[in-house]
Amino acid sequence: MNGRENNLKSSLLKIESVSKTFGGVQAAQDISFKVSEGDIVGLIGPNGAGKTTLFNLITGVYTPDSGKIIFEQTEVQGREVLTLVKMGIARTFQNVELFENMTVVENVMVGQHVRTTCGFWGAVLRLPGALKEEKKIRKNALDLLEFVGLESVADRRSSELPFGWQRLLEIARAMASKPKMLLLDEPAAGLNAVETGTLAELLNKIRSQGITLLLVEHDMNLTMEISDRIVVLDQGRLLAHGTPREVQQDEAVMAAYLGKA
Amino acid sequence: MLLRWGKNNIAFMVLFFVVVAIGIWIENQYYLQVLTFIGINSLLALGLNMLMGYAGQISLGHAAFYGLGAYTSAILSVHYNVNPWLALIGAVLTASLIAFIIGIPTLKLSGYYLGMGTLGFGMVVHVLFREWSTLTGGASGFVGIPPLELGPISFLSVRNYFYLVWLIMLANMVICRRLIDSRIGRALRSIHDSEHAAEAVGVDTANLKLMIFVFSAAMSAVAGFLYAHFVSFISPGSFTFLASVRMVTMVVIGGMASIWGALLGASLLTLLPEWLHAFADYEMVVYGAVLMIVMILLPQGLTRGLTEIYERSRK
Repeated sequence: MNGRENNLKSSLLKIESVSKTFGGVQAAQDISFKVSEGDIVGLIGPNGAGKTTLFNLITGVYTPDSGKIIFEQTEVQGREVLTLVKMGIARTFQNVELFENMTVVENVMVGQHVRTTCGFWGAVLRLPGALKEEKKIRKNALDLLEFVGLESVADRRSSELPFGWQRLLEIARAMASKPKMLLLDEPAAGLNAVETGTLAELLNKIRSQGITLLLVEHDMNLTMEISDRIVVLDQGRLLAHGTPREVQQDEAVMAAYLGKA
Repeated sequence: MLLRWGKNNIAFMVLFFVVVAIGIWIENQYYLQVLTFIGINSLLALGLNMLMGYAGQISLGHAAFYGLGAYTSAILSVHYNVNPWLALIGAVLTASLIAFIIGIPTLKLSGYYLGMGTLGFGMVVHVLFREWSTLTGGASGFVGIPPLELGPISFLSVRNYFYLVWLIMLANMVICRRLIDSRIGRALRSIHDSEHAAEAVGVDTANLKLMIFVFSAAMSAVAGFLYAHFVSFISPGSFTFLASVRMVTMVVIGGMASIWGALLGASLLTLLPEWLHAFADYEMVVYGAVLMIVMILLPQGLTRGLTEIYERSRK
């Protein structure tokens, strides 16, 4: 069950016996699994299973009470969000959180913050280095917008976009920080069938760039179709872990999650 | 983008020529004096707008930095015989340093709490101005602040002072514009929209908020310096809680997150009391009423409100 065949690929992220309690509620209980480099891993489980908690633990919003989170052979539990973004962990939110008063392209430009350096004086004095960087930031942003298919609305205010496009924009913004691993919290929520299809294509395109994906998703078709591996959580515990087929045939999963065996 | 830069530069040039034209054609000393005060207040509003409008952090104690700039420069140039231009550097450094020290714990707060924190700070500084009388002259004020001069140019002339204030204001507008359109400015605006998401994309929100707080305090100190050497007499009464509220009002009335809004808001709030002298005892009533009407009709502030009216009329 624990994916020994995956040893050939190196694991980018290792979760080792991670636990987290909130005022007596076990949001994560002794969870362990690995994410191999270049994989798409689907994180599923009923509401309240602890998926978003796990996301927040990996991205540094929460610190685990016990256990280790190892990213690229480095223990990262307890590090700040900022440090983890620099190391290459980016995320999107369940309820899209864009910078609504900024344009679409500016949203992606902010996304490059950790990969750029221009400071106060560079900006005020318009130093040559700062101007050059500014051009590069803009170009990168437009390239990313093209990648997700939003280049035609680059100068619109982000709040004016239809919801499905906002999700794509948030993905572009997360990719702007050049992550090695991208965590997507319910990327298909609120999307129609066509948009979900586009999203699946986009996720495969992102993977082909060598970015590892970890996604929480309720759309089972999508998750089973694109994921290399599935992690199933239930009430803060790891219920199962394996390929989509293995997981679908797992009795504990059927009982707890898919309803009745 | 290029087009927008072009538009900004044209607007700055227009303002520059308007300033020069006013300087050449207006003879009335009173008008020049009022216009100089508008410049000083615009500088205050601009600095506060960087903090409030762009970064989304409220300060109800900014008059403290205005006062620190005025008093530091006055004390250095009178008690210690420092050249006023060197005193300006001292004033800016003092205000920046205090903003830095106060900012570290205070900016951890947000919303109403940040408002209360900065309000408390403003009151403490006001009491210091009033009670530390050996240094500040206490409640009766600080007299005999020397006028500015630069080589052969004397700023005793209201016209020259008007030019000085507005050139500094213009320079600051250009600085702010550049800052807003940069990586730092975008990060600041992202904090305004969603601090949560800004952190998630790797913006060091605590550091940036502190930086812009210090920057806006420094601008307030420059305004304080200009005020002190213009009127040559300062008293604690100019730097009370009400002065802080007036600064916030300028920003809100002019339009949040707008460089030109700072100018409009400061103009309106400086001119209104002058116009309203005719109402004598009812001055404050009319003043309040005008502000209410502006906020009811143009809740986004003058800049955006007027732009929208203009755009609607073109359709």
